[in-house]
Amino acid sequence: MPIDRRPSFLSRRGFLAIAVVVAGCSGLVPSFADAQTAHASGEPILLGVSGPLTGQNAQYGAQWKAGFDLALDEIDGAGGIKGRPLQYDFEDSQSDPRQSVAIAQKFVADKRIVVEVGDFSSPASMAASPIYQRAGLVQFGFTNSHPDFTKGGDYMWSNSVSQADEQPLLAEYAVKDLGLKRLAVLYLNTDWGRTSKDVFVKTTQDLGATVVATEGYQPDEKDYRSTLVRVREAKPDAIILISYYSDGALIAQQVRTTGIKLPIVAVSSVYSPKFLELGGDAVNGVYTTSNFFPGDPRPEVRNFVEHYQAKYGKEPDAFAARAYDTIILLAQVIRDSGTDRKAIRDGLAKVKDVPSVVFGKVEFDPQTRRVTGAKQTDLVVKDGQFAVWDGTKPVVSN
Amino acid sequence: MISFPSADAWLDYTINGLIVGNIYGLLAIGLALIFGVSHLINFAHGSVYTVGAYIGWAAITYLGTPLPVTMLLVVLGCGLLGIAIERIGLRPLQGSARIAPLLATIGISFVLDQIVQLVFSPDPRGLATDLPDWRIQIGSGTIGPLDLLIAAIGIGSAALLFGFLRFTKLGWAVRATAQDRDAAKQMGIDVDAVNRTVFAIAAALGGLSGLLVGLYYNHIDPGMSFQATLKGVVAQVIGGMGNVPGAIVGSLLLGLTESYGVALFGTSYRNLFAFLLLIIVLVLRPNGLFASRRQAPPEPMTGTFIAPSRPIALPRWLVPGLTLAAIVLPLLVDAPYLLQTLTNAWLYAMLALSLTLVAGTVGQISLGHAGLLAIGAYASALLALRLDLPVGLSIPLAGIVTAALGTLLIWPAFRLRGHYVSIATLGIGEIVALVILNWESLTRGPIGLSGIPPLELPHLPLESTTATYWSALAVLVVLGLLQSRLLKSHLGRTWRAVRDDDIAARAYGVSPDRYKGLAFAVGGFSAGIAGAITAHLYSYINHETFTSQVSILALTMVILGGLGNLVGAVLGAVLLVGLPELFRVTVEFRVLIYGVALLLLIRFRPQGLLGTV
Repeated sequence: MPIDRRPSFLSRRGFLAIAVVVAGCSGLVPSFADAQTAHASGEPILLGVSGPLTGQNAQYGAQWKAGFDLALDEIDGAGGIKGRPLQYDFEDSQSDPRQSVAIAQKFVADKRIVVEVGDFSSPASMAASPIYQRAGLVQFGFTNSHPDFTKGGDYMWSNSVSQADEQPLLAEYAVKDLGLKRLAVLYLNTDWGRTSKDVFVKTTQDLGATVVATEGYQPDEKDYRSTLVRVREAKPDAIILISYYSDGALIAQQVRTTGIKLPIVAVSSVYSPKFLELGGDAVNGVYTTSNFFPGDPRPEVRNFVEHYQAKYGKEPDAFAARAYDTIILLAQVIRDSGTDRKAIRDGLAKVKDVPSVVFGKVEFDPQTRRVTGAKQTDLVVKDGQFAVWDGTKPVVSN
Repeated sequence: MISFPSADAWLDYTINGLIVGNIYGLLAIGLALIFGVSHLINFAHGSVYTVGAYIGWAAITYLGTPLPVTMLLVVLGCGLLGIAIERIGLRPLQGSARIAPLLATIGISFVLDQIVQLVFSPDPRGLATDLPDWRIQIGSGTIGPLDLLIAAIGIGSAALLFGFLRFTKLGWAVRATAQDRDAAKQMGIDVDAVNRTVFAIAAALGGLSGLLVGLYYNHIDPGMSFQATLKGVVAQVIGGMGNVPGAIVGSLLLGLTESYGVALFGTSYRNLFAFLLLIIVLVLRPNGLFASRRQAPPEPMTGTFIAPSRPIALPRWLVPGLTLAAIVLPLLVDAPYLLQTLTNAWLYAMLALSLTLVAGTVGQISLGHAGLLAIGAYASALLALRLDLPVGLSIPLAGIVTAALGTLLIWPAFRLRGHYVSIATLGIGEIVALVILNWESLTRGPIGLSGIPPLELPHLPLESTTATYWSALAVLVVLGLLQSRLLKSHLGRTWRAVRDDDIAARAYGVSPDRYKGLAFAVGGFSAGIAGAITAHLYSYINHETFTSQVSILALTMVILGGLGNLVGAVLGAVLLVGLPELFRVTVEFRVLIYGVALLLLIRFRPQGLLGTV
């Protein structure tokens, strides 16, 4: 093969120049730990956060940050923790266990870090658990509903809404309140979706309803038409979505374009302004629940929603609320127990009545290291807005 | 388990399959066009598709453009992007091995995806259409104007391309270049101009499909590119690589297969059927369903796929010296983060050793190595959890299980060559992950396996960071020495003979299939051990632990180090595990910088850092 000797348009030097520019731009980004403007002064107290900022789950990492930053503003505005500002070091794991274990070692060795938060997915979180457990640093998994997460050791704690807690409430809403009897369940085929589906199916059967179809779909799926034909063939009187907001909105749309007029009931994870934006007209009439609601009279909810709207100019969603709650809770524990890593673990077992958007008041079961008793408001989407369910039952057409 | 739907349901499944196939078609045409001309699987195609969707979103949101104008802007923007990709990523690599541009497209896709995410945030966005809201009832579902538009653009562009290739001078030049680049050059064809045209057309089509699919689902997000590339590649392989009309039929078939798979077995089996179809087509009709009998057999890739280059001669003391330094490192520094990162690197190095053997020494570029890792991990975890075998026994057993299962699974792909092997192994890797997801009685499906015991030998727990580090390093050294000994034996020579010219090797009485089988067995053993150690290190695995991105990463390591080069494989693993950690200070920019670094490395060392062996 002859070798092309003509000089190419982009020489080696040109290529290097581009690389230098790109690398240079990156220097402009301050790291998160510095970005906080601290009202409180003194040595900062540092939380380590391991979560996705790039890759497939980056959108959830962005929601976390929104919730964290709001909580930190509030804590620092109120003088920090005994005068010291609370800050976090957010390390991007891409929800990849290979990276989350390295991050775990980094946090464990960094003496300034008093407690760790995350990761997002179960494989990434639970792969890092042995490292946190051995080193005696609390791993606080606030989205980790996997039933085995806190079994990793006595340093694994979680205030994630337990599916054993949430699904029965959803089942009661669907079966008892809405009067639905033949259910088709579509669930995200991950550990969360699968666990949720199992609990939901069991409770609905106890309540006397029949589950006529269960379909698990992959997180990167975009097309659900064939799944919906399968659902229709099972002749349900409602469709249950165990989904996040983006896939939930896609399914709701396709339910309508495939001409299915059944009522849709969705889990609280779809509670997000994005669900309304992505779903458009198709999500009108979707029944769902939420741990909090802007009209909620509880002071912690009003406070959270108002401040969130003021800071970001949009409605908060379920992920941001859980992130916010977590920082408020950890700040309280550090305030009560000090900054020693072991003292924080012991403090988690003792903490009582911390106000929470999701739970009302937080208290851990020291055996399971989880929180129970999530608040739940029954909602329905009306004219493109979430509204409190007014007690009207759906008209079941077929 | 299997359910048989009613007759009207069949009609609906068929229509749905065609609707989805229609969408895959738009992607597959662009991929087919590029493959037809430059024999390159363009892994950046999905990223161009994402960019197209976002250009469209920006035009609609900020400029309020009507659909025809939006489409025009997307076509122009992505056409220019295609020209830029050809210019920056691929033209400088002309004359180097085919594998280098493949890697370049992977690097470009990292960079593009990351730029989109940085500019537009990772949040998904809605992309509302201003098309009229009428719908036609077909079966029990409906189709709207977008369905028709997508079909019209798919079929229309295929027809236009067909005409262009058949009846215009530039089209002839494109086909001449596709058939024989050097001869085309001698006939006075400006091959660069041809390539530029092809990339511009393909990228414009890719971007347009991103826009249309985004409108269709009212949903775009920066993570949508990988799945798009994957489905597009599968569709065009079914239709015949490089065959433009075939790509459309292949896409429709793929859509139908998925839809019928859902109909018979349920949603979680959908992709399993897609990849099974791929493997069946590759085994029975490796040139695609629509290859004519007259068509020349696939180009003998022997000798051209992997760049001949002289490996860099390392001083004799260097490797033993570095190994010694690695061994004493934990005694000198107290840095668990560094040790953990290096432990990860050693584990990936085992995977890279395995891949450099099958891809470098034997010439079978595998894109499904994560599947082997997963088999090893599940085998060892299940042996330890269910049968209470000690970890010291379950890990080597897992290596043997992986060697056997891996060879068996890849057996059907042995008759394939070049790119077809890569695609077949990609499919096999996906099938392994999907079987793990669906075989719940064994694997607990998405719930995964938790409580996997940590590393230990009898009376010797190895769970501390340092002990894990030494264990992984020791296994790596043993596997590396073993492989290096094999390569020096007659077996190594035979493997290289199969790679360099399998027809000549056969003439000498060598049976390539058996030697490929041996290579996959040896490679499967290393990969299985790596997976097994990983499982005990993580304590929890599920079907998402070893994704197809891991396969691509492993291949990148191997190519970066120099195909077939053992020390190169380890170096590649250390670099590609280490660099993203090193770039951590740059937060969201780190994947972007990683992509640029990768592109630079390919640009200046297309034969790999240490050269192929």
